[in-house]
Amino acid sequence: MTNENHFGFREVDPGDKQPLVNRVFSSVAGRYDLMNDLMSAGLHRPWKSAMVTAVNPPRGPHPFALLDVAGGTGDVAFRVIDAGGPQTRATVYDINAEMLEVGRQRAAKSGHDGVVDFVEGNAEKLPFADKKFDAYTIAFGIRNVPRIQDALNEAYRVLKPGGRFLCLEFSTVDVPGFDKIYEAYSFNVIPAMGRAVTGDAESYRYLVESIRKFPRPQAFADMISAAGFRRVKFTPMTGGIVALHSGWRL
Amino acid sequence: MNISADRPAGSVDPKLLEILVCPLTKGPLEYDAGKQELISRSAKLAYPIRDGIPIMLADEARALD
Repeated sequence: MTNENHFGFREVDPGDKQPLVNRVFSSVAGRYDLMNDLMSAGLHRPWKSAMVTAVNPPRGPHPFALLDVAGGTGDVAFRVIDAGGPQTRATVYDINAEMLEVGRQRAAKSGHDGVVDFVEGNAEKLPFADKKFDAYTIAFGIRNVPRIQDALNEAYRVLKPGGRFLCLEFSTVDVPGFDKIYEAYSFNVIPAMGRAVTGDAESYRYLVESIRKFPRPQAFADMISAAGFRRVKFTPMTGGIVALHSGWRL
Repeated sequence: MNISADRPAGSVDPKLLEILVCPLTKGPLEYDAGKQELISRSAKLAYPIRDGIPIMLADEARALD
C-alpha cells in the first residue's frame, strides 16, 4: 500500500517511521488524554463510547478477553471492563513505554490493576498465541503503524472465531463547507493547542498530517477484508471526522 | 474486582504468561523469574520484564548465545 512510508507529509522508509512515531508519543504521553479532550472538544469520548458499545462485553459471568492495541493510557480498556461483567479482562498493548506507564498508574488509581495487563510491543508482531481474544480494539492508533496490513493480519490471527475487530480512526470529512472549516482547524488550531498544552507543536502537526495520509474509508475496509475478516463495515461519525471500522473473524 | 491483588507488585500475571509467545517466531517462551526475562529459544532472544511489563520488542531483547 502507498500509505506505508509516510511520517506526516515527509516520505520515510517503513523502518524509519517507528522511531519518529515513538518520539511523538513519548513527548506527549502525560497529557495525551487531556489533549484528546481539547482537540476534539470532548468528542473523543462519545466516539470511544460507540466503540465500547460495539465491543459489547457480556454483562453476565462469562469470560471475555479484550486486546486493546495502541491503547497505552488504558482509556478504552477501562471503559470496556466497566461495561462488562466480572470476568471481563483486558490486555493493553502499546509500543511506547511512556504511554504504558501512564496507563499503569491510572489502573492502580482506578482499581483496574487486577483485571488489566500491560504489554509493550509492536502491532505488526503480536506476542500472543493464536485465537486468544474475543475482541481487538485500536483507537486512533492504526494510522501510526508503518505496515498496516501486517497489523490487520495479526489482529485476525489472535482473535477467536466469532471474535470482532474494531478500529476507531480519523477519516475523511466530505460534508461541503465543513471540510474547509475542519482543514483550517486541523492545521492551525491543533498544533497551536499542542504547543500550549504539551509544549510540542511539531508532534501535533505530525498527528494532523498523518490523518490526511491515512487511506480513505473504503480502501481501509478493503484492507480489513484482505486480512480475512468478514461482514466488514464502517460507520462515519461527526461528518466523517472519524469512522468506526469493524469486521468479524468467522 | 482486584482479583490478583495478592501477587507482588511488579510481577507478571500468570494468566498473561499463558498466552504470550515470541513475537518473531510465535514459539513458546520460558519465564525466568529471577532475571525477569522471557526466553525465546527459537529466536535466541531474552525479552526483559520491567516493573511487571513484558517488553516484547526484539530491539530491547538480549541475544542468547
